[in-house]
Amino acid sequence: MTFLRVKLSTLFGCLIVFGFFAVLSVPAHAQARKGKKPPAKPKSKLPESVRKRAPVAMKVAPVSTSSRPAVQRAAGELDSLVELKLLDEDQEPNELASDEIFLRRVYLDVAGRIPTLKEATQFLASSSETRREDLIDKLLGSPDYVSNMYNFWADVLRLVERPQANIVADPYLGYVKDSIRINKKYHQWVYEMLTADGKTWENPAVGFQLRDDGMPLPYVDNTVRILLGTQIGCAQCHDHPFDQWTQYQFYELAAYTNGIRTRIQRGSPGYTKQNPANLLINEARTKHDKGRVPGEFQRIARANTYSVSEVKNAVMRLPHDYAYEDAKPKEVVKPAVLWGKVPTKARNGSPREQFAAWVTSDDNPQFSKTIVNRLWKRFMGVGLVEPIDDFRDEHPCMNEPLLEFLSKQMVRNNYDLKEFIRTILYSRTYQRESADYEATSGEPYYFPGPALRRMTAEQVWDSLLTLAVHNPWPFQRPTAAEMAPVLNLDFGTATYSSVKSKSEQFAKTYFMNPYKRSLNQHAYQGNVLCRASELPSPVPADHFLRQFGQGDRETINGGQQDATVPQILAMFNGPITHVMTEFGSALYDNLVALDNTGDRRDAVFLSVLGRKPTAADRRAAASEFSRTETDGKALGNIAWGLLNTREFLFIQ
Amino acid sequence: MPRPEFAPEQRRDFMKTIAKQTLGVSFAGSVASQGLFGEAQAAPIVGKAKHIIYLFMDGAMTHLDTFDPKVGVEEAGETKPIQTRVPGIQFGDRFPKLSYLAGAIAVVRSLSTETGAHDKGKYLMRTSYKQLNSIQHPAMGAWMVSEAGRLNKELPGNYVIGGSNRHPGAGFLPPSLSPVPIANASAGLQNTNLPKYLTPEFFNRRLSLASKFDQNFQSRRSNSRIEAYNQLYGEARRLIGSEHLKVFNIKEEPKPIQDAYGSNQLGQACLLARRLVESGARFIEVNYGGWDMHQDLYTKLDERAANVDNAVGNLLRDLHSKGLLDETLVVLTTEFGRKPKMNVNGGRDHHPGAFSSLLMGAGIKGGQVYGESDKQGFSVAKDHVSVSEFNKTIAAAAGLPLEEERYAPNGRPFKIGGDGDPIKALLA
Repeated sequence: MTFLRVKLSTLFGCLIVFGFFAVLSVPAHAQARKGKKPPAKPKSKLPESVRKRAPVAMKVAPVSTSSRPAVQRAAGELDSLVELKLLDEDQEPNELASDEIFLRRVYLDVAGRIPTLKEATQFLASSSETRREDLIDKLLGSPDYVSNMYNFWADVLRLVERPQANIVADPYLGYVKDSIRINKKYHQWVYEMLTADGKTWENPAVGFQLRDDGMPLPYVDNTVRILLGTQIGCAQCHDHPFDQWTQYQFYELAAYTNGIRTRIQRGSPGYTKQNPANLLINEARTKHDKGRVPGEFQRIARANTYSVSEVKNAVMRLPHDYAYEDAKPKEVVKPAVLWGKVPTKARNGSPREQFAAWVTSDDNPQFSKTIVNRLWKRFMGVGLVEPIDDFRDEHPCMNEPLLEFLSKQMVRNNYDLKEFIRTILYSRTYQRESADYEATSGEPYYFPGPALRRMTAEQVWDSLLTLAVHNPWPFQRPTAAEMAPVLNLDFGTATYSSVKSKSEQFAKTYFMNPYKRSLNQHAYQGNVLCRASELPSPVPADHFLRQFGQGDRETINGGQQDATVPQILAMFNGPITHVMTEFGSALYDNLVALDNTGDRRDAVFLSVLGRKPTAADRRAAASEFSRTETDGKALGNIAWGLLNTREFLFIQ
Repeated sequence: MPRPEFAPEQRRDFMKTIAKQTLGVSFAGSVASQGLFGEAQAAPIVGKAKHIIYLFMDGAMTHLDTFDPKVGVEEAGETKPIQTRVPGIQFGDRFPKLSYLAGAIAVVRSLSTETGAHDKGKYLMRTSYKQLNSIQHPAMGAWMVSEAGRLNKELPGNYVIGGSNRHPGAGFLPPSLSPVPIANASAGLQNTNLPKYLTPEFFNRRLSLASKFDQNFQSRRSNSRIEAYNQLYGEARRLIGSEHLKVFNIKEEPKPIQDAYGSNQLGQACLLARRLVESGARFIEVNYGGWDMHQDLYTKLDERAANVDNAVGNLLRDLHSKGLLDETLVVLTTEFGRKPKMNVNGGRDHHPGAFSSLLMGAGIKGGQVYGESDKQGFSVAKDHVSVSEFNKTIAAAAGLPLEEERYAPNGRPFKIGGDGDPIKALLA
């Protein structure tokens, strides 16, 4: 009992300290009970699920310890190519960044969030020679890495649960995440996505082909842009005077994927004359008042009509308005690739397989260069070629030998993305101090160090969660294996009543609106507190993530990092910056566990900025302590102040 | 489609009648006694636009099914033309309300661009320049605030309501001119109230603490991205506690007004835009998506079109009844048109060869169609209008400098609206 009393008084001290809304209620509350029994433990406004640290149920492919020397050698080669170029340009590389800067940067880049107080303290206390490599390797094998890279791919691949009302793509999103988790070799992963057959929950890789369902030409355009860094979209309509691609070439390429079908075909089980989903829904209309068939019934029936396959002998024709002299409108076009050739071993494959084999071939330099350039930009802030998905003569590479080397390295390492990222992170180039580079200066950037970046929206969100909650993973997005039993219908045997009972199950689990509602058990003031990678996508336009620039997932690489007024208002007054000052938040509990003000002050700096306060910071803090009635309240002000620095939002 | 010719006097009479009969009707007693449009006016006293409401139909609005309907060709699809109140002008049959207001509307049917890619098309429409790596051009709203200044010192002058993905914003102009995004018109600008426990004095103290902690970082860096945040921190600070914040609360409007605009994203955004105009905003872009109709166009179009017809119609009437249409230019535009030939999925694909836009209100001569597309709506047949000419016309209506060059930080010269000339026939 004594123990409890001591503990509680500390807590109250802190509550008053923190100076947010929780604070004001406490003295009154305490007073009301004065003279009776000790006040009840203050109730946390945080949802139960996020208040206790819990291991993430995810087994992540670790990096290989034995390959460290090889990676170090490759990183050394990378560095010498960068430094050679700098020398050519009469520039100096930056100094190596301090451990504090490195720590925060590598956590944000690999784990997608700032380090926790404990993680920061541990790393900064380490004097091991290999502490940087050790940390890199640890992070690359963590669930955080999976979450972070999922966000990266979600922006590239425009990942949404419902690309169209009746396409249930959740399993595909789970599959992307899982491919990152097991570190699936990139060329295999892509090949799978380009050639997959079936329904999303049977073979979730089909989601890639379903993303642009009904738009076969934009599908080709987007695929080539995402995977080969080449924009041929203009050629869809006409030859462009300044572009190297002709409309004819566009159609030749599109002829490879022209046989893709996304719906079940006549002749499949249950599909003789009429679409079986229509038959079931029509029957359902007779059983419901005023013919109102519940949404989940219609959705599950229609979702089962989406099954990807490739038909034989599909014929591609030029458009009726084809206007050039090399061919006539509506003429049949034979498939042909844009450059190089289809690998010999794929020559007997279907057109779609030939296309996939060509895209992912070791002999297709654009394939490896594009992924290299994308990842380079992610970690270094600027692409070797910009824009990253528009390779062409007018957009010269900033360091050709480096791109060549990295691209060969990618192939040599069998498209092991994690090993490639590890190479970048091991390099001095990555570990140097960052530079201020203005993309609009028109000057090329030769990588004296990484460019200063603003955090991505997901990094801001996940970092705030790191401060706010003990468990930022109260749930994970569903997988194909989980969803298949709920969703799958066999139209060969399905009856109205079997579909009805399935649909009721669906309504209780993954049907979008109830699913989203079920997540509210993890919410604080309407914000579901979970890693960005697990939230249904796209989030609403006024969500914190969107305010900070998360894309609507309709545009390839739609995320942006520009400043806006609503972001700042959210930092001032929004629930997400206030949640961490609630009783039971991670920051709160971490501070309560310390027992002197100096340590608490340092802990706030380490928690928010990943560094200890400077002498000037300590002076500013001291003056804040001296003019504020309680140290706790001053700490609250300090935490708020640190969150509202530009230093917090930027990755140095 | 034969289009009767009218003598200017005849046209003027039509305008006068239509103006009286249409815009004023639903707001009895508020009809301005003088004419609404330049030509109905005896003296040319129509002022230049002090405000612009720029309605962007994101995704590429079909021109054939909206303001450039066709007859007698298969490309017309399911859309039938209906006669507007201006003889000789027809709109698609999903726009009865705007047809009634045609006297206030100038339709441009002869826009075309070279790009069928959404991002590039939107960038071009908003900035008049092609998207480049090495520079970001300002969108019209930033130019307008930069040139014309703010009317209300406490509120930003430039907004984008609805999605703002990849908006060019202030481009190379100061970040404080970039549009304030309002994600959801009904929710307005969020997080403007300090928590209850926090007094303004305490708030200021926290801010000064933040800038002290930030000093070290800021002194080591020189970066426009950081500078953007610095400027907007100041902007956000000024908003806290401002009495002008109530402009963002459209719930303050009488229920019938809210309902009249329509309880959908576009309607609510138009209502908020009108309130922002009243409080002195210079430029309000309303982004309204859902136009990328590659599939089942006619099942999707009904709702979009109905919302546009209702919201824009109501906006014009409302602005007029408040005497604001004389100083507010309303633009409705999109990034390109859609293919006249329907595809196998009952949709229309991208088509930059011809598309339509609307200009209404201050500085604009309404009741006309400018330019023509061909019989199928495929190419421009008459009076081609480039994106630059279109934007130059907007700039001219707003009285912005057209010929003077402005220099980007890298020393390159740019003109507002690009290198084209305004279309005189569209200007009042």
